[in-house]
Amino acid sequence: MAESGHAQAVGSQEGGTRRDFLILTVSALGAVGAGALAVPFISSMQPARDTLAAGAPVDIDISHIQPGQQIVVLWRSRPIFITHRTEDELKTLQSPQDISQLRDPDSKALQQPEYAKNWHRSIKPEFLVLVGICTHLGCIPGFDPRPGGDLGPSWLGGYFCPCHGSRYDLAGRVFVGVPAPLNLPVPPYNFVSDTVVRIGENPPGSNFDLNSVEQL
Amino acid sequence: MDAPRKQSKVIRWIDERLPIFAFVDHELNAYPTPRNLSYWWNFGSLAGFMLVTMIATGIFLAMQYTPHVDFAFDSVERIMRDVNWGWLMRYIHMNGASFFFIVTYIHVFRGLYYGSYKYPRELLWMLGVVILLLMMATAFMGYVLPWGQMSFWGATVITNLFSAIPIVGNDIVTWLWGGFAVGNPTLNRFYSLHYLLPFLIVGVVMLHLLALHQHGSNNPLGIDRKGPQDSIPFHPYYTIKDMFGLGVFLIVYAAFVFFMPNALGDPENYIPANPLQTPPEIVPEWYFLPYYAILRSVPDIWLLVFTIPSKLAGVLCLFGSIGVLFVVPWLDTSPVRSSRFRPVYRWFFWVLVIDAFALGAVGAHRPDAVIGGISYLSIGRVGTLYYFFHFLVLLPLLGKIERPRPLPASISAAVLKSVPPAASGKMEHA
Amino acid sequence: MRRLAFAAALGASLLVGPAIAQESQETPPLPKLEWPFEGVFGAFDRGSAQRGFQVYNEVCANCHALRLLTYGDLGPSGPGGGLGFGLDEVKAVAAAKQVPDTNDQGEPITRPATPADHFVPPFPNEKAARAANNGALPPDLSLIVKARAGGPDYVYAILTGYKEPPPGMKMGEGMNYNEYFPGHQIAMPPPLSDNSVTYADGTSATVDQESYDLVNFLAWAAEPTLEERHRTGIKTILFLLVLTGILYAGKRRIWAAVH
Repeated sequence: MAESGHAQAVGSQEGGTRRDFLILTVSALGAVGAGALAVPFISSMQPARDTLAAGAPVDIDISHIQPGQQIVVLWRSRPIFITHRTEDELKTLQSPQDISQLRDPDSKALQQPEYAKNWHRSIKPEFLVLVGICTHLGCIPGFDPRPGGDLGPSWLGGYFCPCHGSRYDLAGRVFVGVPAPLNLPVPPYNFVSDTVVRIGENPPGSNFDLNSVEQL
Repeated sequence: MDAPRKQSKVIRWIDERLPIFAFVDHELNAYPTPRNLSYWWNFGSLAGFMLVTMIATGIFLAMQYTPHVDFAFDSVERIMRDVNWGWLMRYIHMNGASFFFIVTYIHVFRGLYYGSYKYPRELLWMLGVVILLLMMATAFMGYVLPWGQMSFWGATVITNLFSAIPIVGNDIVTWLWGGFAVGNPTLNRFYSLHYLLPFLIVGVVMLHLLALHQHGSNNPLGIDRKGPQDSIPFHPYYTIKDMFGLGVFLIVYAAFVFFMPNALGDPENYIPANPLQTPPEIVPEWYFLPYYAILRSVPDIWLLVFTIPSKLAGVLCLFGSIGVLFVVPWLDTSPVRSSRFRPVYRWFFWVLVIDAFALGAVGAHRPDAVIGGISYLSIGRVGTLYYFFHFLVLLPLLGKIERPRPLPASISAAVLKSVPPAASGKMEHA
Repeated sequence: MRRLAFAAALGASLLVGPAIAQESQETPPLPKLEWPFEGVFGAFDRGSAQRGFQVYNEVCANCHALRLLTYGDLGPSGPGGGLGFGLDEVKAVAAAKQVPDTNDQGEPITRPATPADHFVPPFPNEKAARAANNGALPPDLSLIVKARAGGPDYVYAILTGYKEPPPGMKMGEGMNYNEYFPGHQIAMPPPLSDNSVTYADGTSATVDQESYDLVNFLAWAAEPTLEERHRTGIKTILFLLVLTGILYAGKRRIWAAVH
């Protein structure tokens, strides 16, 4: 009796709509506050300042890489292949025998910056820079530049992934009939001099972001 | 209350299988609460809010913290400098410990003043003391994690206390440490337990609330509700009041977090732990100071045939000071709950409050330090004596000899003042 | 009645204050300066802090490490936006120091530091530091302003507090008299003198000025996110004041029926 009296006393006031306004305002402010409060927590899980700093571009001296040789360096915890291709190797890249084996010979899929969207998938033909992670399930493909051998007479040299047998040519382009779906990605890089390549930085005029590729 | 809500089909479907909506409606919305609760009753919900806050910030801090003696200090500084908003989560968590204790201590003293521990709420009270103990353990271990000078040395001093236990003391300490001194094994197990204990606290809090809802809240008059006219529904009255109280509390909390985040801490803890160098003063955080004072005040105790050395005696009194809280419902013999109607006891309650602050001051100083010609040790001894006297002598005695003021007829009678005072003597205002 | 008791309780709590502050019965109270980063609207004086960095780099860094900071922290990608140095300045500061590293053959070498490197410590380990400093260990300065009671006032007081010992006082071997150091005997000799450094912006480099600038730098080094903290705090408290005000109005309105 007295309890319902309260209800009537409160509800029947003309302040009924005023109370709704109050509830609305408080709820709105509360939601804003809660949202603002959630931001720091979620944001704290983003890469921290020192992690981002560790992902800064790295300068690599390529003057010691002999023709036919490859070195592997780390950038953003990923293996980066830097391969010094020979003239003969470059010739194979445009041969019909090579092209006929490839899934995406013209690099139509977005797996490289625009300055590497060419027949040699690089800035300078003799130096190839790739992210050395197989686009199938993430193993590191092995470098196998010698034609023939265990991989058969049609093998002109390239990369062979030991995990599930995916193959790529000497420009990192993926073969037809292997598990991997896409060409090996090309990271942003720039020649700061003839002997030093900077991995992680685009040449002036380009702002390619590695996260924009179809699949790393 | 609003007209009965049109129950959506979804709500009814869920409720039939798992009655959460009915539960919330019964325990939070319609739940009858005394109509005369004062703002001293806000502190329980504030404590619950702080528990959630500490767990949330703690989980996110745990994502970035490294529990190894070589990396712990630096990982905390990395949180402060490099992690997005890391400084905010650290300062919220660090000051949150202090504010959790502030609201809890006020909540406890509220219980002492209004007799909230008396029948039928004895178990509710005891569960509360368990929560307090778990909080103290959690805070103690948490303070070790940044691995500063005070972290290390505070851990060393307090774990060393257990060596006072006769015969098995040293073995217990070695077992606690996991080594010959506080070190990496100690840090790692403290981290594990510091993560665990808050969830135990959550469990005991649920029991605490369950016990509370059996008979409902006490109230400033200390008399039972006699009928529906003495109650109002928890929602919207106490929901809005709790929210308002939370707002005020948050302003004070934010003032510390954003503008004086290190005011309640010790600068010594910004020095990485050095096992070879003891700081000039080893002081626990402020919320442990009264207990620290009690620990250090106790001299050797001679009991007939044997002596309890002062270290062991101090440890016993330290744990005794919390132990005594457990049995308060049985120590207090007063037939009346609320100190509003206990003209003699209410003075001693305030003496106890002053005593707690005084013991806190004592804990912060070296025992040989002097103020106004008196050593802090002497003050500490008097304070400790009074503390135990209050609970062990005063509570039982006063209840028997004090003449309480006449109680009002009912809550609504007192609030509405529609019934004239039952006997002579002033009626306290609501 | 109750209020009196309450006041007495609060008064007793004031006894805690002097204890938690420095336990220095003999040292005089610290000179209190107005620091630009103090107060609700406090922010770093970057001009002063940059000069202070110069003092640290040219004088203090010979004995004191600053290991919690990287050189890059001084620049645009640093915490709180850094100290205002440009990337090139930062690279130059870093490159002037050598860091141990290994070459491609795995042999130990040294190379110039980069912005990613933490500040190179003056000594490779504690023993070397003590051996070079009469057995005393010069503390790392990354957090010194937060690690001492009195904070920036204390550090400033130490830097400017060197005096001749009073007549009759016996100094320990190699110790120096300092007004504000607890016990008055400090192992560090007076680190600064007039014109220890030549400021690039032409400010006169007195000991007081160098000390002031150095403390401003060290305060930034101890907590580079301070300005963000203050900014966020102001927004938060304003928001809370509005919200609490509305909640209070709501509470009064809802409770009007009961009262």
